[in-house]
Amino acid sequence: MTAIELRGVRKEFGDVTAVRDLDLTVQEGEVYGFLGPNGAGKSTTIDMLLDLVRPTAGTVRVLGRDATGDGVAIRRRTGVLPDGFAVYDRLSGREHVEFAVRSKEADDDPDALLERVGLLDDADRKAGGYSKGMRQRLALAMALVGEPDLLVLDEPSSGLDPAGAKEMREIVQREADRGATVFFSSHILEQVDAVCDRVGILRDGELVAEDSVEGLREAVGGEETLEIAVGGADGASDAAVEAVRAVDGVSRVDRDGDALVVSCADGAKTRVIAALEDAGVDVADFHTREASLEDLFLAYTEGDAADGDATEGKVAEGDAAEDDAAEDDGTTPDAAAADEEVAE
Amino acid sequence: MTLAAIAEKDFQDAVRSRGMIALVALFSLLVAVFAFVIRPTGQGEQFATELLLRFFVRPFLVTTLVPLVAVVIGYNAVSGERESGSLKLLLSLPHSRADVVFGKVVGRGAALSIAVFAGFLLPAAVLAVLAQTGGIAAFNVGSYLGFTVFAAVLGVVFVAIAVGCSAAASTQRRALIGGVSIYVLFVLLWGAVTGQFLGAAGGIVDPLPVSTEQVRTFLRVSNPTTGVEILSNAFLGGQLFAGETVNRQISAASMLVFWTVAPPLVGLWKFDADDL
Repeated sequence: MTAIELRGVRKEFGDVTAVRDLDLTVQEGEVYGFLGPNGAGKSTTIDMLLDLVRPTAGTVRVLGRDATGDGVAIRRRTGVLPDGFAVYDRLSGREHVEFAVRSKEADDDPDALLERVGLLDDADRKAGGYSKGMRQRLALAMALVGEPDLLVLDEPSSGLDPAGAKEMREIVQREADRGATVFFSSHILEQVDAVCDRVGILRDGELVAEDSVEGLREAVGGEETLEIAVGGADGASDAAVEAVRAVDGVSRVDRDGDALVVSCADGAKTRVIAALEDAGVDVADFHTREASLEDLFLAYTEGDAADGDATEGKVAEGDAAEDDAAEDDGTTPDAAAADEEVAE
Repeated sequence: MTLAAIAEKDFQDAVRSRGMIALVALFSLLVAVFAFVIRPTGQGEQFATELLLRFFVRPFLVTTLVPLVAVVIGYNAVSGERESGSLKLLLSLPHSRADVVFGKVVGRGAALSIAVFAGFLLPAAVLAVLAQTGGIAAFNVGSYLGFTVFAAVLGVVFVAIAVGCSAAASTQRRALIGGVSIYVLFVLLWGAVTGQFLGAAGGIVDPLPVSTEQVRTFLRVSNPTTGVEILSNAFLGGQLFAGETVNRQISAASMLVFWTVAPPLVGLWKFDADDL
């Protein structure tokens, strides 16, 4: 059975279209990461799952029921961690969870849930005095009431420190192991990488990509980026750019000071270096960058990925790429030779 | 139905506000002041519980202060949660929007009733002790308690009107304007507004098989504060739902029921259609 099924869903607020013609299916038992930059329409989509917002067009079905007509029955089997919520300042943490237990007609032990999210020591305090992270944990405890079949978590890590975010992921993982379907949104891809079976990327209200994280990486990673530091008097001359551009498999060449940034197919690297040396250009140093998750995300959310051309996007430009993906090719014989020449 | 869960949570939340304690203290103080003012001064003069309630407590306290307090308690019931975001937490649980609106009416109505009872009972205890020790000649506990029920009823009616307005309002600001309007209309300007209405509608009323006087009476009885006045006076006179004003009492009671149910329904109708 499908846990979530959106067909041709569109939502307009006045003359602003928040979600356009969205088709999305989440299978039962799946962990689905719903990604996109702020303002992409993630929260609107989640609000439609919960019947807080009604679609302008299309159908939203959750756990086999119509979200607009059968919201109460859906939420009886769904745990929700909303985004931008507030707590009841004068009620204690335990009273919040007790209220959720009563509302869901469940028989959970509030203390066990509070312990699970690490709030048991503060259970008797008024929630009005809780920090943002504690409120987030409290709402998670309320969401876990009644062993829900579906967990809908809107930006679950917001307000949590790295340790808290890790605990959140572990709880999500345990719920998934229990058999629950998990649907959560985030604007940070790194958070979803570890736990998601599948991710969907939303941009301007449209789903621009949907795959496993590996699948997305492959789709974008068919190309690699070379950064070549060029020595000699001419630096990155027009001749050097022309020489590289002529190489088979090179899709793009940019100049960055004395360096060349080359987008090329896997395996074209040695031909690029050879072409430069044939043209009499000194190659001082070079290295390869692999697309990081950050680049991947930016490629889909900022570039032209919606047109099926992610590789032309900003994959090559993310700063984050340099730290985790720099592949040290500087010790190849050619480059070593180049270094010697520069030294002379 | 999860209405009971919402009502209980809202009740707990409301009775813990500092305003509630202030309210109980205020009611107690005012009733005590009135009781002191009309205390028997000479031999043979009786302390009349009915006199205290009918001519002091009701006009000065019940029909002006109770509606004000009810509007203050009710106006932000739904809109306040909507603006703060706690409504998201509430509606992430399996509650319908009707449960939310009517749960709020019940929860806050109960909180106000508790405040009214607590505020009236403290002075009552003092009066009862005085009656026992001969400080005052007599204190009619039955009249006093019965009257307190009417005061609470009036409070619940105004809570219902204010919650309905709160459910319909998309922002706190609008809810506040609505709340103030409710108070001004029902407590301060009802006579003037309905008088204007009758003047303007004279041409419409004439062909109908009712006299202008009947319409005037109906409009007067339609105001919940007047409704409670009619019923509580009948009660204190030992003529509740009896005697020559029985028809008027029935109209008044019907209007009180109408004002308790209709505004929340209208508010729900708007609230249910809104994107939150």
